[in-house]
Amino acid sequence: MATMLTAFSGDDAVFGHFGATGGYALAARRAMYEFGTGPETWKKIAVGQRKWANLNPQARMYTKPMTEADYDNAKWVVEPFRLPDNCLITDGGRAIIVTSVERARDLKQPPAVIMGMGQQHPSTEVAQSTWMAGPTGAEKAGAMALSMAGVTLDDVDACQIYDCFTYTVEITLQDYGFFRPGEGRDWLEGGTIEPGGRTPVNTSGGLLSEAYFMGLTPISEGAMQIMGRCGQRQLGPVTHTKRPEIILCSDNGGVLQSHSCILLRRL
Amino acid sequence: MTSVLKDKYAIVGIGYTPQGRVPGRTSLSFHLEASANAIADAGLQKRDVDGFICYRHFPAASDENDLTPSRIAQHLGISPTYIYQDAN
Repeated sequence: MATMLTAFSGDDAVFGHFGATGGYALAARRAMYEFGTGPETWKKIAVGQRKWANLNPQARMYTKPMTEADYDNAKWVVEPFRLPDNCLITDGGRAIIVTSVERARDLKQPPAVIMGMGQQHPSTEVAQSTWMAGPTGAEKAGAMALSMAGVTLDDVDACQIYDCFTYTVEITLQDYGFFRPGEGRDWLEGGTIEPGGRTPVNTSGGLLSEAYFMGLTPISEGAMQIMGRCGQRQLGPVTHTKRPEIILCSDNGGVLQSHSCILLRRL
Repeated sequence: MTSVLKDKYAIVGIGYTPQGRVPGRTSLSFHLEASANAIADAGLQKRDVDGFICYRHFPAASDENDLTPSRIAQHLGISPTYIYQDAN
């Protein structure tokens, strides 16, 4: 534990600042000031993703529905984050196999083809961030991935966003360009990301409500959805959503210091 | 942007393990189980695997050896020609 503290937080721990929640809480606070976000926005992400987890038998929160009132009544971890703003801590592992499309054609599963990818890493540590409230690396990484794939955001049928905190989902979608700064709350209104919504997000429940396997949680779910293997949470008629042609997956490191974006499609 | 990566590669297998609160397991055992399940899910044999990439390099549990791709590959019984691991 002492190693974790000093390796990841250095001298900051002496002043009571340690762990990921504190760092992201700082960034989220700045975003509240910069573009007027806050718990009213994040609540829709936490509750929306929980609805997906309630359709996923292997999700940690499968049997635990969450209402907006549950969110409002949850305890603070580090203000402005309540417990449901934080991802889970999970024992377990996750792995994926990648091969050429040529070879994939002869294998057992329908392949999830990688049509575009991008990365950007705007700073090396949060104390050196130029813009703590974004744009994060998602802006350029997303543009790079879309450009490589030759598609636009309008072509993206669903997203699997690295969601260490609810705010991470908001700033990532915002920096990709799904909505303008501060307009996330309106964009999320009416169940946009939920089962039946027009842009489903984190359909396994994500890091917040399925399990924490870092970037492997979003990318494995993206691939499983493209493969059509998701049972009662499968995108398409079962969940009153569009059958996915293209799914966007993200990963993010540090306190919004590094970002990866990958676009998957059906063969 | 033209790219040599576009549409050339695909994800073809996913490996899950028991997840949640799973006491009595080592970090290494989860790496091995997830990898073996992913290989089986793709319908491949472990001898087909010629590259092995570990995700972020977090510290293993305090009573375990450092987890590197070469260590995991050895325990998995594969000899990849390419290994890689992210810094945390």
